[in-house]
Amino acid sequence: MTTIQTTELDRYHRQMLLPGIGEEGQRKLMNAKVFVCGCGALGTVIANMLARAGVGHLVIADRDFIEMTNLQRQILFDESDVENALPKAEAARRKIAQINSQVKVTTFIDDVNHTNVEKMAADCDIILDGLDNFETRFLLNDVAVKHRIPYVYGGSVGTTGMTYAILPHSHPDDANETPWELAGAATPCLRCIFEQAPPPGMNPTCDTAGVLGPVVSIVANYQCVEAIKILTGNYSAVRPTLLSFDVWENTIRQLKVARAYDVGNCLCCKQRQFEFLEGKFASGTTTLCGRNAVQLTQKLAEGRKLDFDEIAQRLAAHGQVKANKFMLRADITDNGNAYELTLFTDGRAIVKGTKEANVAKSIYAKYVGA
Amino acid sequence: MEVTISIPTALRPQVDNKDTVKVTGSSVREALGALTAQYPELGKRLYAGENELNRFINVYVNDEDIRFMDNLDTALKEGDEVSIIPAIAGG
Ligand SMILES: [Zn+2]
Repeated sequence: MTTIQTTELDRYHRQMLLPGIGEEGQRKLMNAKVFVCGCGALGTVIANMLARAGVGHLVIADRDFIEMTNLQRQILFDESDVENALPKAEAARRKIAQINSQVKVTTFIDDVNHTNVEKMAADCDIILDGLDNFETRFLLNDVAVKHRIPYVYGGSVGTTGMTYAILPHSHPDDANETPWELAGAATPCLRCIFEQAPPPGMNPTCDTAGVLGPVVSIVANYQCVEAIKILTGNYSAVRPTLLSFDVWENTIRQLKVARAYDVGNCLCCKQRQFEFLEGKFASGTTTLCGRNAVQLTQKLAEGRKLDFDEIAQRLAAHGQVKANKFMLRADITDNGNAYELTLFTDGRAIVKGTKEANVAKSIYAKYVGA
Repeated sequence: MEVTISIPTALRPQVDNKDTVKVTGSSVREALGALTAQYPELGKRLYAGENELNRFINVYVNDEDIRFMDNLDTALKEGDEVSIIPAIAGG
C-alpha cells in the first residue's frame, strides 16, 4: 500500500463528501487496481470515469486499433488517434495521463485469452468488462470465480443495455470467506444466469445492429457505480439484480437472479469447472463479427518481434503501407480481392476483407510468412 | 389466462416485428406453445428439442427466471408478463 499525501486527495473533494465514500473510501480507491478488459465503447467510458474517480492503477487490455466509426461513442479517442493508427489501449493510456496523472496505467495491446488473462488480472481488486463477445466474458467469469475477484458485466447493443455485478461465492475448501460474503452480498456468477452464449444471428453486435452512443455510456456508468461501491467496501449497496433496459422503448427491468446460485448447479461456480480458462473452446482465429474481418492470434516466440521495416518494404509493392511502433497496416490486393492486413509486433494479425479463417490464414502466410 | 409475452429485438423479425404478443395459457409451456404455433419460425430459435428451451434463452415471468421456479411448467395467472431476454453481447 503506497502512502497517499493529503494534497493528492484534494481533487476528490466532491466525491469524498458522499457518506458512502469519505476520505477512507477515497484512499481505498487510490490503492485499488482495476482490470478494464476491452477498451471500446464501454471500456473507454469505464476507464475515463474510474481515472477521474482516482482509482490508483488501471490495467487496460484491448486487441484493436481505432477507426473513425468508433468516435461516435468511444469517448477517450479523437480524430488524431485514428490518423496516427494508435491501438486503443495506447491511446487510452495517453488520454488518461492528461486526465489524471496520479493514475498508473498498465496496457496490454493484445487479444485476451486463456493463455494470458490470469497474468493481466493478477492482483486486481475488480474486473470490469468492456467486451463485445461472450466467449471472453465467460473467460473473465472463470477468472473471477477461481480467484474470487468481483466482476461487473456490461453489454449494450442497439438501444438496449444490460449490467450485473458478480461477487463470487467461495469454494467450500477456501480457508476464509470474502468480505462480500461476510456482508451477505455474494451473487450468482455470469454462467449461473447465462448458461451459454447466444449464437450468431441471435446475437446482434454493435457492428451489425448499430448502437446508440448514450446507451453504452449509461451501461458503463452503471458498471462504474457498482465498481466504486465494491472498491469502497459498500458490498450491501451493490445492486443484486440483472438490470436490463431499452432507452428507446422506455423499459427498465430488474431481473431477480439471486436464486440462480442456490437452485442451480452452475458448471463454473458450483462445479468449479473453468472450461474457458482451460482453453476448451479456444482457437487460433476469431471472426470479428459484423466487421468482415478475422483475427489470427498465433504469436511469435517470447521476446521476438516482427521486423516492420522489412515487411513494409516487401508489402509496398502490393499497396499502401503505414506503420508505427505498435502496428503495421497494409492494403493488399490478392487474386482481385482487396484485403487490409493489420500486424502487431508480436505476430498477431487482423485481416479485413474476409470472414473465412482459412482465407485470412493464407493471406498471412503469403504476405507475412508462416 | 391471457398473458403478454415480450419479444427481444433480435427475435422480432420472426413475429412480424411485434414487440409484444398476447396469448392464452395456464403455464409457460402453454403460452410459448401458443406463441410458436402462431409463429413457427420463432419456435426454431427458442427450442433445442421437443420440450427444452435453448440454453442461451432466458425466460422470465414477472422478472423471475423460470429455471428457478418450475421451468416450463411455471404456472401463469391472468395478466402475467412473460419476457424472453437473451444476453447482450455487444459493447
Ligand atoms: Zn455460477
